[in-house]
Amino acid sequence: MTSIGTGYDLSASTYSPDGRIFQVEYANKAVENAGTAIGLRVKDGVVLAVEKIIHSKLLMPESNKRILTIDRHIGYTSSGLLADGRQLANRAREEAQSSRDFYREPPTLKAIVNRLSLFVQAYTLYSSVRPFGCTSLLAAVDKHGPGLYVIEPSGISLGYHGAAVGKGRQLAKTELEKLKLSELSMREAVFEAARIIHLVHDDAKEKDFELEMSWIGSETNNVHLPVPKDLFLEADRKAREALEEDMED
Amino acid sequence: MDHHPTNWGRPRDDRVDPYGTFPIHARPRPAKDVFADGVQRTQQPIVTGTSVIGLKYSGGVMLAADNLASYGSLARYKDVQRLHPVGTSTVVGAGGDMSDFQHLQHMLDSLVTEEFTYDDGNKLGPTEIYEYLSRVMYGRRSKMDPLWNALVVGGVKPNGESFLGYVDLLGTTYQSPTIATGFGAYIAQPLLRNAVDERPDPLSEEEAVKVIQQCMKALFYRDARSLNKYQIAKVTSEGVTISDPLEAPTVWGFAEGIRGYGAQTQ
Amino acid sequence: MSAQERRFNPYTENGGTILAIAGQDFTVIAGDTRQSEGYNIQTRYAPKVFRLTDKAVLAVNGFAADGNMFVQKVQQRLEWYQHAHNKEMPLRAIARLIQTMLYAKRFFPYYVYNILGGIEDDGSGAVYSFDPVGSYEREACRAAGAAQSLVQPFLDNQIYFKNQLPPSGGAHPKHLPLKEVLSLVIDSFTGATERHIEVGDGLEIYIVTASKRPNADLEAIANLKQVPGGFIGGEDGEKIYVVRRELKKD
Repeated sequence: MTSIGTGYDLSASTYSPDGRIFQVEYANKAVENAGTAIGLRVKDGVVLAVEKIIHSKLLMPESNKRILTIDRHIGYTSSGLLADGRQLANRAREEAQSSRDFYREPPTLKAIVNRLSLFVQAYTLYSSVRPFGCTSLLAAVDKHGPGLYVIEPSGISLGYHGAAVGKGRQLAKTELEKLKLSELSMREAVFEAARIIHLVHDDAKEKDFELEMSWIGSETNNVHLPVPKDLFLEADRKAREALEEDMED
Repeated sequence: MDHHPTNWGRPRDDRVDPYGTFPIHARPRPAKDVFADGVQRTQQPIVTGTSVIGLKYSGGVMLAADNLASYGSLARYKDVQRLHPVGTSTVVGAGGDMSDFQHLQHMLDSLVTEEFTYDDGNKLGPTEIYEYLSRVMYGRRSKMDPLWNALVVGGVKPNGESFLGYVDLLGTTYQSPTIATGFGAYIAQPLLRNAVDERPDPLSEEEAVKVIQQCMKALFYRDARSLNKYQIAKVTSEGVTISDPLEAPTVWGFAEGIRGYGAQTQ
Repeated sequence: MSAQERRFNPYTENGGTILAIAGQDFTVIAGDTRQSEGYNIQTRYAPKVFRLTDKAVLAVNGFAADGNMFVQKVQQRLEWYQHAHNKEMPLRAIARLIQTMLYAKRFFPYYVYNILGGIEDDGSGAVYSFDPVGSYEREACRAAGAAQSLVQPFLDNQIYFKNQLPPSGGAHPKHLPLKEVLSLVIDSFTGATERHIEVGDGLEIYIVTASKRPNADLEAIANLKQVPGGFIGGEDGEKIYVVRRELKKD
């Protein structure tokens, strides 16, 4: 980056002469190096999966959940600074609740994503604040059907059929593109999601990781829930087997 | 019911001209309009539900309430559910002001949703819901801005014990094996106590349904603000079920023979 | 109808009666368990007597919602006191705390009559009685609630020996033994149950005994149960017992 050291990267409220906001780009860097998170929007629901990097063997398994629930029908996960992600999740919960207070119906995913991205964008305007160092994935089934959105540190929000963020995003995106997402069932998507997370994880470079998956759709009565234990274990096992087969090839 | 358009949306006052029989200019009015002070806190219920009854039986708890929401003496809404499931092991039944009850339903739903989003395996049981409601009701009465309801909370606790409690607009609380609110305290409570307290062992589900049906029938016969269309909620360790509207078989033939009823006027 | 008349009334009366009697090295605090409104019995079991500490028991009577809230607030203040000072609050201090809390709501009072019973720091049995806005005094005995006017004169006669002549050459005893106090309590409530419609169903009698009191006389009492507590005073410390009895339910 040529302009580094010129002082244009000290504040989110200052553009560089070529029209960039470096603080926002640095925030993206925080995401690019973090554990991978993917989302699959399929025929009858959405599946979220994250590669949770285990920083210490002293951490309890299945603690410090990375996939959170915003409303009964909205799931959330983020890649990047975990604490920033939690802050955004709480904000999203407040937005969902206030929407419910006002309209007395479950909010659409789009409504929540719009509000949340306005919030994220506001943190790119001022010198007194730091942009959020995380990219959020929001999954839901609302009155319009299944939905999957990504909100980046810039405040940009886009809807996707399949989304991947974090360190393994490139490979994951390639894998997602191979799938016929709109024809997959939720159950099939769980297996694909597990396989992709295992695939993109670099055993050589990375520390240990834990797979975490949630889903929402026809299988869950349109409620955002963790993937049931037995299905999770089966998907996890199949993913490992697929990986080993690839090695042998 | 006051049918004149100038009085639409205004609470009726039964004590003056209940049938709108006077011309507008001569119409007797209450000394003070209930809306005269502009925005007012609930100082009287407007659209109301009548009794709620409940009892403990061997499998859990049973609640019943009819489907009527009255506007004074007018049977205004005849398809209103007054039993509200909260979470997976609690039902709240309400009498009194129906708009206040709708507000409470929303508060409870928000509470359950919030608890769900925490995803920590913790569930709100009937004792928690009861405690929450009693704090809300007592808090509002202490602000002199009460929620005008009598509530019955029924459910099954995580340890399998059944729970039945009462909370009202004053924040008064109590728990008992049988509960009946409003007019039901006079008509249904004695029947319920006869069925439950006088026996050493708890009622079976069939017996409980029978007593509830008996109570709802008696209430329909004697409570002028009741409707012969009611629902029964059951809470067991399996969860909450609320029946479709039921009807009690009634007999009115005797009325023919009574002077003052029907065709016979003298 | 004027606005005044239509105003929401935030109070009601829930019946019932409470009483407490102080002995030399014990105190008895009792209440019936009926809760009523008007002519309706709401429940046959709603406790009105509560353990506060290992040496203090509070009975509340009047508007039940206020009573329950008041007890919770007192218990919370006592817990904070314990965290701050690592000891239980002395009885006389609890009494003053209650007066302060009641008086703080002087203009929207807790419609509750309180009787506090327990053991003072000097080991004596004590009863403090309060009015709803916090006036209080230490007494040897007190009845309050629906049947106060039935029970208090009986207690005046039997505890204070009012209108009784002392035996010739002797004097009235200063303190009665526990056994006699208990039968007076039971008689008070059976009497009140007979003559007052708001009293009945069940009776809860709390007994607080001073530290190192030889409690041999407790063994004769039927249905006696020790109330679990903090036991800050150890095996020798003050102890609380409860006796539950039936009263007529009509």
